[in-house]
Amino acid sequence: MGRIRLESLRKSYGQVEVLKDINLEIEEGELVVFVGPSGCGKSTLLRQISGLDRPTSGNIFINENDATNVSAADRGLAMVFQSYALYPHMTVRQNLAFGLQNAKMPKAEMDERISAAVEMLEIGPLLKRRPGQLSGGQRQRVAIGRAIVRDPTAFLLDEPLSNLDAELRVSMRAELSALHARLGATMIYVTHDQVEAMTLADRIVVLRAGKIEQVAPPITLFEKPVNKFVAGFIGAPNMNFLTLDDVQPVLGNVGVPAGATMTGIRPQHLSPAETGLDMTVTLVEALGTETVIHGVLGSGATILVTVPGHVKTSKGEHMTLNVDPAHLHFFDADELRVEAA
Amino acid sequence: MISNEKTTIGAVLSAPVRWLAEAIDIPMRWWQGIAGRPGMISFFLIPNLLIFGMFVLVPLFINIVYSVTGGTELFLSDRSYVGGAHFNRLLECENHFNPNSCREDLFWIALWNTIKFVFTQVSVMIVFAVITALILNGKIRARAFWRAVFFFPVLLSPVVVGLIWQWMLQRQGVFNFILFQFDAQAINWLTERTWAFGAAVGVSIWAHVGFYVLILLAGLQAIPRDLYEAAEMDGTPPARAFWRITLPLLWPNLLVVIVLALIRAVQVFDEVYVLTGGGPGTSNLYLTQYIYEVGFASILRNPGLASAASLIMASILVVLTLAQLGLTRWKDKK
Repeated sequence: MGRIRLESLRKSYGQVEVLKDINLEIEEGELVVFVGPSGCGKSTLLRQISGLDRPTSGNIFINENDATNVSAADRGLAMVFQSYALYPHMTVRQNLAFGLQNAKMPKAEMDERISAAVEMLEIGPLLKRRPGQLSGGQRQRVAIGRAIVRDPTAFLLDEPLSNLDAELRVSMRAELSALHARLGATMIYVTHDQVEAMTLADRIVVLRAGKIEQVAPPITLFEKPVNKFVAGFIGAPNMNFLTLDDVQPVLGNVGVPAGATMTGIRPQHLSPAETGLDMTVTLVEALGTETVIHGVLGSGATILVTVPGHVKTSKGEHMTLNVDPAHLHFFDADELRVEAA
Repeated sequence: MISNEKTTIGAVLSAPVRWLAEAIDIPMRWWQGIAGRPGMISFFLIPNLLIFGMFVLVPLFINIVYSVTGGTELFLSDRSYVGGAHFNRLLECENHFNPNSCREDLFWIALWNTIKFVFTQVSVMIVFAVITALILNGKIRARAFWRAVFFFPVLLSPVVVGLIWQWMLQRQGVFNFILFQFDAQAINWLTERTWAFGAAVGVSIWAHVGFYVLILLAGLQAIPRDLYEAAEMDGTPPARAFWRITLPLLWPNLLVVIVLALIRAVQVFDEVYVLTGGGPGTSNLYLTQYIYEVGFASILRNPGLASAASLIMASILVVLTLAQLGLTRWKDKK
C-alpha cells in the first residue's frame, strides 16, 4: 500500500507562505512528478510529506492514517536526495545496511534485502567501495538502493538526476522508469526539468508560487493546459502567446471562444505555408533533427517555430506560417484556458 | 627609477617617496647584477630567512651548545665542554616513577606533573570543546553572541588570564564569597594541592577551549545537512547519529585539535605560573617552569641543565608533531 493524501496543506516561514492550500491524492503505485520553476515550493512540499519538515496547517494521510505529526522515520517512506546524501565514511554495503541496523533487523533478513537491491541495481562490484570512489551514476544507484532496502510505503525522489551529466541523465531516467514498473511502488519525484516530468510521470503536478496549477497526465498537460502558466511551462520550446489580432490571418473560420483575449500556439504546430502569418527570421538554430526558427511578426510580437529536419533560411528572410486550428489554445484576460466553440 | 609620468601626487610627497624607492633600488640592482633576474627571488626571501635564523636557528644552536657545556657563563667560548653530563644528571634515576629517587628530582616532578596535567587538561578540554561546538552549531538563540563569548578568552594575554582567575580564586575572591553566601566553608583554591591542580586545569581550559571550539565548529559546519536528514529518514537515534555520522566526519578536525592541544599543554607555563607560581610546593611545577627556573630564576642558575631539559621537552614536541603529520596523512590516504 502506498496511498498519500494531502488536505489543505499550508507551510509558512514567518510571514512568507510557501505552500498555499495544497490538496492532492496520490494513488498506490502511481509515479507523480512535482514540477515547477525554482522557488515554487515543490521541494518544500516533498519535505512536508517526508516528515523532515512539518506543515503550518493541513493534514497528510499515508494509507488513510493521519501522518501529519508522525516522525519521518515512522512514516515508512524512503527518500533519495539530490546530493545522494551517502555517508562518505561508510562503504556502499554499510550505507545500504545503516537504516536496517537502526531498525534492529535480523542479519539474515538484512542480507537478503541488500542482496535483492544489489542485484536489481547491479551494484555488486561496488559494495566494498566508499562513495568518494564512485561515479555520479553509481552513487545515484546506491542512493536508490538505500531506499529500496527499506521496502518503503512510497519513494520520495528530490531532483535525483540533476547532478548527472546530460547523457547519464537520459539513461538513468529510463532505468528509474523501469524500476518503477518493476517495483510497482508509489513514487513522488521532484524536478524542474519538464522533459523528466513528461517522460517519467503517470501524473504531473505543476506548481507555481506554492499553489497547484494543474494535476494531470503528461499528454493532458501538453494538450489541454488549464492556464497560460502551465501552457508556457510544459513543452519545449515554450508556447508562443499571441494576441487575436496577431493570429487573424490563420484564424479563418475558426470560432474564437467568448472571452478569449490571447492565443497560444506551440512552435511544433506551426509550419511554413503559402498563406498565414508573415514572419521575419531573426535567428536560426539548426539542431539536426529539427530547426528552431526565431522571428518577429509585423506587430513586433516574437515567435518561435520548430520545423522537422533542416530548413534553409537565414536572418532577415521572410516566412509565412500556418497552423492547424485544432492546435490553437485560447486564454482569457485572467490567463485561464477557454475552450474553442 | 620611478618614471616621472607616474609620480602625480605632487612634488612634496613624490620626492621623498622617489628617494626611498631609489635607495631600495641600489641593493636590488647590485643583487640582480650578481644573481640575474631569476635570482631576485632570493633577494626577497633573505630578510625573512635572516630573521628566522636569528630568532630560531641561532637560539637553537646556542641551546644545543649550552646543553653540552657547563658553568654559569653566558658566552659560548667561556663555557667548558661536559658532553652528555647534563642529560645523564636529568635522566639518572633509581626508579623513574619515583622522582625522589632521581638525581634531578625537580625535573621528574615537573615531568610527571606535566604528564598528569596534559592527560587531564586535554581529555577534559576535548570533551568540553566537542559538547560546546555541538551546542553552538545547533539552533540556539543569540548563537553569534555565544560563539564570541567562548572565543573571547583566547584573545586575552595569558598573564591577564592568570591574574583575573587569581583575583577570583584567592581566599577573599568571588568564589569564596559565593560559598560564603550559602554558608559554606571557604576553600583554599590556590593553596591546597588538589584544588590548585584543578584550578590550573580549569583556567587553562577556559583560556584555550574557544580556539578548539572554533576548529570543531568549522568541522561540524562542513558536514552536509543532507546526511542528517538521510539519517532521520533512516530512523537513526540522535546518539547513534553522533557516534556513527558526526564523530567519524569530525575526526580530521578532532585529530588536529587533539594534537594541537597536546602540544600546547606540554608547553603550559604562563597562566599557571601567574596563578599559582607552580605551587603549592611543587604540585603545579611543570616542565617549562622548571626550565625557566633552572636557567634563569634560581640562585644557582644552570643554563646547561636548563638547555638539556628544554631539548628533552623539544623532542617530546617533535614526536607529537610527527604523530600529527603521520595521522593526518594516514587519514587523508584512507
